[in-house]
Amino acid sequence: MSDRIGWSFRSALGASIPFLCAVLGVIASNMPVSIFGANVPPPMFGLMPIYFWCLVRPDLMPPFAVFIIGVLQDLLGGGSPGVWTLSFVAAYAVVDRERDSFAGLAGVGAILGFAVALLIAGVTAYATIAVLYWHLPPVASILVEIAISVVFYIPVALILGVIHRRLIGPLRGDY
Amino acid sequence: MANGSMRYARGRGNAQLPLAIVAVLAVVLVLLGKAQSSLFDRARASFTDWTRPALVWVSTPFDKASAWFNGIDGIFVVYQENQRLKQENARLRQWQSAALLLDERLKRYQLLLNAVPDPALNARTARVIGRASHPFLDTMIIDAGKSQGLKPGEAVVDARGMIGRIFLSGERTSWVLLLTDLNSRIPVMIQPGNIQAIMAGDNTPNPTLDTLATTAPLKVGDQVVTSGDGGLIPPGLPVGVLVNEGGAFRVALLADAGASEDVRILDYKLPVEEPPAPSPNDLPASAAGLKPEPPPPPPVQQATPLQTNPPSGAPPKPAVAKPAAAQKPAPPQVNGGDNGDTQDQ
Repeated sequence: MSDRIGWSFRSALGASIPFLCAVLGVIASNMPVSIFGANVPPPMFGLMPIYFWCLVRPDLMPPFAVFIIGVLQDLLGGGSPGVWTLSFVAAYAVVDRERDSFAGLAGVGAILGFAVALLIAGVTAYATIAVLYWHLPPVASILVEIAISVVFYIPVALILGVIHRRLIGPLRGDY
Repeated sequence: MANGSMRYARGRGNAQLPLAIVAVLAVVLVLLGKAQSSLFDRARASFTDWTRPALVWVSTPFDKASAWFNGIDGIFVVYQENQRLKQENARLRQWQSAALLLDERLKRYQLLLNAVPDPALNARTARVIGRASHPFLDTMIIDAGKSQGLKPGEAVVDARGMIGRIFLSGERTSWVLLLTDLNSRIPVMIQPGNIQAIMAGDNTPNPTLDTLATTAPLKVGDQVVTSGDGGLIPPGLPVGVLVNEGGAFRVALLADAGASEDVRILDYKLPVEEPPAPSPNDLPASAAGLKPEPPPPPPVQQATPLQTNPPSGAPPKPAVAKPAAAQKPAPPQVNGGDNGDTQDQ
């Protein structure tokens, strides 16, 4: 009996790790400190776990988790409420719909796949801001953020892979 | 195997419904945030207050590292920079003495002309504990809030010029909307010429100038200062200089929000002037050349005995109301522009 309770606790812990990783990513993205100066936007760390587990284990990254991560991004980011929530959900919807295509990518293709997800999120955010303010914001800053996020995704994906194999795998019974 | 069965169980039909619900919720959140952003603002302010010690602790090494990174290229031009700064310092000393003389002269002239003095500014100094530079957002966080008397709308300046305005105040922290932010709009004046304009941020380093007359004679290098219109921001704060970018004038800001460590928050309140009480001559009837109606009689105290003693032998005069004819308003009569020639009928 205690084994079963312990097993279900470990299973729940394993299931929550992707969400916690995304929350940590959002916090890291929105730490109001920048080593590169204020003109360089931080990488979008919050979207990396969403993309990673949406491909690897979509049951560990359900839509409601993505919604909460987006709300957190909006809350900590300080911008217009809901913009990044909508963007994350849009990127998730596309990746989830084309998961077979995205999951088949490897190496540079996998990184380009993340770039596509970022582009969807960025375009959604750009369009939402343009509609909200009735003004076209400059494109350069969002492109810079996408470029930086793609560069940072390479090491982060390796770390997420290690977390998935070492932590989620042993903790999840159905892995 | 289990992984495969999980994927198969979570088929498209099951996944689409929560996704659709979440998408609708996200759209509702966007609309709600546009209509009622105070809820989010309060949550943000509370969160920043709560994480203030961590922000202070974390920002110190990051700021030092950032300053070190930004200063790397300066190491190679230390000698030339030193020479340039010495020359600039000597030039600025001359300007300082000239400015002091002119300031004294201005004060004397104001005294002679009995001019209304500029309202005194009450300023507080706060430390920058965070900077957020996102694609659609340029803000900074300072370690002072409502408990230090800060209020939304107050101007934030550094040693060189205006940086932005406070847009959200927590108890011990405040968010500053930088002049470069997409939401920033401040009234400015371009000198010389005192040309009024609205400076609008668009998330680029140099904000644009809106609602500017097309015939306004502008040239590169003109000074941009706050105009003080609206009474929120004190007039005359240095903002930047005009530059030409792609055929359009933009404002190169004097202040460097990315390098500012300590900022000043200006508590500016335009003195509220009480309007004078209207005299009978100010009434519309008088202004139109008509005799104004007499003011209504004071209320009569029915049972109050007279204070003065009546003459001996005479019965005490009861307090009576004014005759009805006196209370009836007289019809206005045109007096042909001659004041005071009308009579009550």
